[in-house]
Amino acid sequence: MRIPILFHVAVAIAVNALGMGAITAEPVRFSRDVLPILSENCFACHGPDEGHREADLRLDTREGALAVISLDAPAESELIARIVATDPDVQMPPPSSHKKPLSQEQVDVLTRWIAEGAAWGTHWAFERPVKIPPPAGHPHPIDAFIGARLAAEDLAFAPRAPPHTLARRLAFDLVGLPPSREQAESLTRDSSEASYERLVDDLLASPHFGERMAMWWLDAARYADTDGFQGDADRTNWPWRDWVVEAFNADMPFDRFTVEQCAGDLLPDATPQQRLATCFHRSHMTNGEGGRDPEESRIDYVIDRTNTLGTLWLGLTVGCCQCHSHKYDPVTHHDYYQLNAFFDSIDETGAAGRGATPYLAVTSPHVARAVAEARRLVDARTPAVDAARRQAEGRFEAWLADQTAAVVKAGGFTAWRPLEPSGVESTEGTLFAVETDGMIQTHGPTPPQDDYLVTAPASRPRVTGLKLEVFTHESHAHGLFSRGDSGQFTLTDVKLRVTKRGSSQVREIPFARAVADHSDDPKKHDNYGSIGGVLDDDPRNGWGVRDAAAASSHTAVLALREPLVLEADEELVFELRQRSTRGDANIGRFRVSVTDQAGPAVASVEPAPLEQLAAALAAGTTDPPLVVRPLRDRLREQFLADDEPYQIAKRVADRASRQLAEAKAAVNVDVMVLAERPQPRTTHVLLRGVWDAKGDAVTPGTPAVLGSFSKMLPSGPATRLDLANWLVGPTNPLTARVIVNHVWQLFFGAGLVRTVEDFGLQGERPTHPDLLDWLAVDFVEHGWDVKRLCRLIVTSRAYRQASDVSPERLARDPDNRLLARGARHRLPSWMLRDQALAVAGLLNPALGGPPVKPWQPAGVWEEMFMGRFTYEPSEGPAQHRRTLYAFWRRAIAPTFLFDSAQRRSCEVRLPRTNTPLQALTLLNDAIYLEAARALAERDRVPVAMFRGVLFREPAASERLVLDREAARAREYYARYPADAAALLDATDPGDLFPVPAAAADQAERATATLVASLILNLDEALTHE
Amino acid sequence: MNDEHEDRGLAVTRRHFLARGTGLSIGAMGLAQLLAREGHAAGDAVGLPGLPHFAPRAKRVIFLTQSGGPSQLELFDAKPDLVKWAGQELPESVRQGQRLTMMTANQKQLVMPAKVTFTRCPRSGATVGQWLPHLARVADKCCFIKSMHTDQINHAPAMTQFLTGNQIPGRPTMGAWVSYGLGSENRDLPDFLVMVSKMQRPSDQPLYDHYWGAGFLPSRYQGVKLRNARDTVLDLGDPAGLPRELRRGMLDGLAELNGLRHAATGDPEIETRIRQYEMAYRMQASVPDLVDLADETEETFALYGPDSRRPGSYAANCILARRLAERGVRFIQLFHPDWDHHSRLASWCTARCRDTDQPTAALLIDLDRRGLLDDTLVIWGGEFGRGVAGQGNWQTAEAGRDHHPRCFTMWLAGGGVKPGMTYGATDDFSYNVTENRVHVRDLHATVLHLLGIDHERLTHRFAGLDFRLTGVEPARVVAEILA
Repeated sequence: MRIPILFHVAVAIAVNALGMGAITAEPVRFSRDVLPILSENCFACHGPDEGHREADLRLDTREGALAVISLDAPAESELIARIVATDPDVQMPPPSSHKKPLSQEQVDVLTRWIAEGAAWGTHWAFERPVKIPPPAGHPHPIDAFIGARLAAEDLAFAPRAPPHTLARRLAFDLVGLPPSREQAESLTRDSSEASYERLVDDLLASPHFGERMAMWWLDAARYADTDGFQGDADRTNWPWRDWVVEAFNADMPFDRFTVEQCAGDLLPDATPQQRLATCFHRSHMTNGEGGRDPEESRIDYVIDRTNTLGTLWLGLTVGCCQCHSHKYDPVTHHDYYQLNAFFDSIDETGAAGRGATPYLAVTSPHVARAVAEARRLVDARTPAVDAARRQAEGRFEAWLADQTAAVVKAGGFTAWRPLEPSGVESTEGTLFAVETDGMIQTHGPTPPQDDYLVTAPASRPRVTGLKLEVFTHESHAHGLFSRGDSGQFTLTDVKLRVTKRGSSQVREIPFARAVADHSDDPKKHDNYGSIGGVLDDDPRNGWGVRDAAAASSHTAVLALREPLVLEADEELVFELRQRSTRGDANIGRFRVSVTDQAGPAVASVEPAPLEQLAAALAAGTTDPPLVVRPLRDRLREQFLADDEPYQIAKRVADRASRQLAEAKAAVNVDVMVLAERPQPRTTHVLLRGVWDAKGDAVTPGTPAVLGSFSKMLPSGPATRLDLANWLVGPTNPLTARVIVNHVWQLFFGAGLVRTVEDFGLQGERPTHPDLLDWLAVDFVEHGWDVKRLCRLIVTSRAYRQASDVSPERLARDPDNRLLARGARHRLPSWMLRDQALAVAGLLNPALGGPPVKPWQPAGVWEEMFMGRFTYEPSEGPAQHRRTLYAFWRRAIAPTFLFDSAQRRSCEVRLPRTNTPLQALTLLNDAIYLEAARALAERDRVPVAMFRGVLFREPAASERLVLDREAARAREYYARYPADAAALLDATDPGDLFPVPAAAADQAERATATLVASLILNLDEALTHE
Repeated sequence: MNDEHEDRGLAVTRRHFLARGTGLSIGAMGLAQLLAREGHAAGDAVGLPGLPHFAPRAKRVIFLTQSGGPSQLELFDAKPDLVKWAGQELPESVRQGQRLTMMTANQKQLVMPAKVTFTRCPRSGATVGQWLPHLARVADKCCFIKSMHTDQINHAPAMTQFLTGNQIPGRPTMGAWVSYGLGSENRDLPDFLVMVSKMQRPSDQPLYDHYWGAGFLPSRYQGVKLRNARDTVLDLGDPAGLPRELRRGMLDGLAELNGLRHAATGDPEIETRIRQYEMAYRMQASVPDLVDLADETEETFALYGPDSRRPGSYAANCILARRLAERGVRFIQLFHPDWDHHSRLASWCTARCRDTDQPTAALLIDLDRRGLLDDTLVIWGGEFGRGVAGQGNWQTAEAGRDHHPRCFTMWLAGGGVKPGMTYGATDDFSYNVTENRVHVRDLHATVLHLLGIDHERLTHRFAGLDFRLTGVEPARVVAEILA
């Protein structure tokens, strides 16, 4: 459904119907009317790229074009003749290019242009912006330009949006949060100009302004908390993120903001803050892949910086020039490497991880708060563990008495019970004989590698661990452990599964750890030896006992991650994999036993605590009531390992302790920054962009088309500081336009130039070119003042229009290019989360500091990295920080975000899609469920919750639906109180709310939670209206 | 899970809307129409106008992606005469300055013959290494391309090029292009589904989500990755205490309120939102039904091997791939990691062969006997191959092989490809292609062709340029392998 619309738009742009005014009898303007036609249809083969130029004809210069233009007889020009030809061998563009033939309108434009003398010019964006006086008619300059255009189209501004809509729009745009209830009410009560401007000023002064702007900047800067690529190691560059927030809040002029980030280290007497700013150009991914040449990685980083600079400040797709001269824009292969040269002498090696020098040591002022917050959580939780331990003591005594009596009565204790196999199989041919007491003896073929599968009913209803014993036997080589040549075994991996009779599915049972009475040193045996190696599914390591003192058996104990409870018709399948490279090392004789004892019993090969107790009782060294330490401590440890109240309290407290440790570790961190190496490198053009295919040497420089370039120091090569000064200098036609366009996009959801990333010939042309130029010049004239620019935009009438649209208006301008209405679009997903926290009263508004981890479905990192990284959601107030502070792992962005930047390369225009997965996130993610619950606890009544989210009263028709859904839920939860309790539990992942005792109260809260979730999912709630 | 709740829920919705008659808002009307089509089997999302460009030979793709660079020298490209060269330095006339990774750049390039013997298939003459005994038995269904080559020598860039046509992340992957071009045949599931084998050992090469990304295409075309965890789709399950009938009612209320909003604002995006919440609701039923293998027979599990009972294994994912094919999902992509065997090739590579051999063969047999192989294109391959020189001491079990981009083997089966064929050849060292070179982009052009798509005409305009999967260099459809 959306596709035809997009196509329609594309066509519309091509013929300029909605663009810069219909082509009428006024003189043809080269840059507006002619250049787009030539660029779109001709430059691919007849443009600046000499490598792909056909027929030695170029149409990107007047001299070149004159070869096919007859000024005297325009219609007979070869250019026109080829375009209107129908013979496929002659026709241009050729049918093989799959470009459409030119329209009659386009042919007319070209013909008239030739008739008028074929005047040449340059692409609009390469001409310096000029501030022409705003047209008459509206006092606000923005309205003057937009209003004039609307008048020309016989349109007018839409009415002003209602105050509650404006309050939301303004707050999201300026601080990325919904307005406070007071702010919204105040604007609704008094919607005067003064009241509106008061709100604007409040929001601009809010510290959250910097956070909102920082999200834009961080996406563009490809900022993340990890390296990316294979290793994806953590980095600690977040102090730079705080630098960005503070710079926006302090209204640092954008030219200074630019210079400090590009070259803060080169400023005279550079301050630590100025050096910190340069982290911008170190925020690229770093690659520590094993076989990679660090120099190739380093070149990649240089290229990334150049491309980022091109996209973000210049709005040019300079990245095209890595391999060849630009096909459309006048930027050459050579120009590109001249830009590269500015970044080529950073004192870096290409390494990743902790070796990504140069670093700046930073002590962040925001860490103290994080530490204090974490410490309060530890303090709050520690007493519960101590209490649980004290409370467990009584249970322990009772348990010990029971166990002692049982041991006495049984006359001993056996922790391990051998499996009685119902079957033993091998994959490669080894045969087995099962003897009494579960002993298994191999015979028959001796394949070099084999897997054994032991199937058995569990001899215990509960299993906490397995014991594997291997034995010598006279039938083995040298009477040792294996029938293979050396008599030694190598166990590479073990697996445990549970099968259920009649079911096709198996359960994979994970192990927590493995211990053995002896493990060889892997360094001495080609990496084989360690018992730990049997748990990692890697045949390149595993357990061996070659260096052990002579013994008739060896023992390994494998602890399960969680106790396993088997049902009656379930069986265990224990798999021993012997896949070592050396082969001929299959176990000859073995036995597998299981235990139900928790804790110390499966943590070592020592006798289990109860076995020790039995031995002590038998030896008379202890009396039943007087079990003494250390045995008593071991027994308590075992008891506590199974004591759920204690385990819960301990897990919760341990989590808080880890969080505190993380916060403390953030007190002093290293931030990746720029610094020049003493001896500059010589930069080369890289042929076809290949890192080691060096062409001509180049010196630092900027593309000629973008204005003259001057050096601060007359001697020596130009520096990054020269580059930075040029970026924001008077000769560069692009930066101010590009940045003003970015800021415009933040408020209108689309730029005046829609292709925010491309102001070149293939980018879209501005919808309001004179306005863009006026804003750009005005921005520079007023000291690159970002807050002033924001204020200018939001005080315009254009910004304050209602966003409703009639079908006729929609058909006329589906993309709202003319701005005859306000912007209506879904909020970015990070704002959706922040909104949910804010309206629910959960938001922790603290600024800065180390990253936090919001709720995320379990196992996402673990699955991605096969367990190498574990995601532990933050607890306590840290859970409800703004999304700006969420830990960003590059290989897998926070799962609750969608349509977000990938933070892998510079992104300045994000997609805005509408998918079923988004619906699932907003309906069911813990973040939104918790927010719904909190909103329900806060307001309870549907109408009040509606007001709390949307800042307006529901209409009667809406109220009807809300009340109906509430009644439906209430009726259900009254009937099924267990479901009410379950929903309340499921919507409280952080245990924020006490469990209501009365069933009626539970039903009411569950009902309110469901209605709150509905309200948070309303299109209006998700949308910038 | 076509349970009562669902049927009743829909019926209630329909009744509810019909009862309100002409007073309906546009959004609510859209929803009513949507639900009125409930009985139709036809797909919901349509592709681009004019596609397919011509009659397709394959309706869907199952892409068995083997990540890390499987060794063609051990698996398919038999070079028995290499034993004569064992331990000798690779002639420079063969090597021709080929770039090496840093792992072997400082080491002499000593030839290491294959670690295996090969089976020659009687009918097709295809050669399959002894570590793939199951595949050898069905090799006559496959078309082996021994002359694949690529431009990249490191994993991430090579895989990115293998899947998107360009080494730099940011372009749409093959699955996204196909989904974008052709749309879906199943309205209860996304068009492009991805599954990654669950491994215990951390793989050296993570699988980035841009490997199934939509690049600059609208993100609804991106691959949806089914997870190996309890929730195969994140946040798929409703919270405890929220039964299906209550969810249905809540979504009806939501749709009605959104319909009112649509009437008030006129924004067509609201209609899409109503539809997507409905798709989410349908996926809540269709996805669990898809991943629950309880209705598979014992014989099926026996066919796919013991690993197929373990959720998340490659074997289990092969069964899921067949189930997705049965449900008309357009592009099904499996990833099996850990084929990067720089050392201990013999033990390590056999481990990956064990994981994949039987299930892969079973998938071909299973598709064939269900009549699905005719219009399902199965693709097997990784981002590059491995070099003939041993890495480490070639004479020991320690030895492995380094990356090799100049030639590698892939195979295709079903969906309009000639069965029992071997295409292309390499020199005596499996080092350079000697005939019928097939670049990665030629493969892309061929796959699109089999789906009825002219690769030069499936384009998308982004940042002012018309992009296509096969990029700007010339690409050709490998017509010789078409049935």
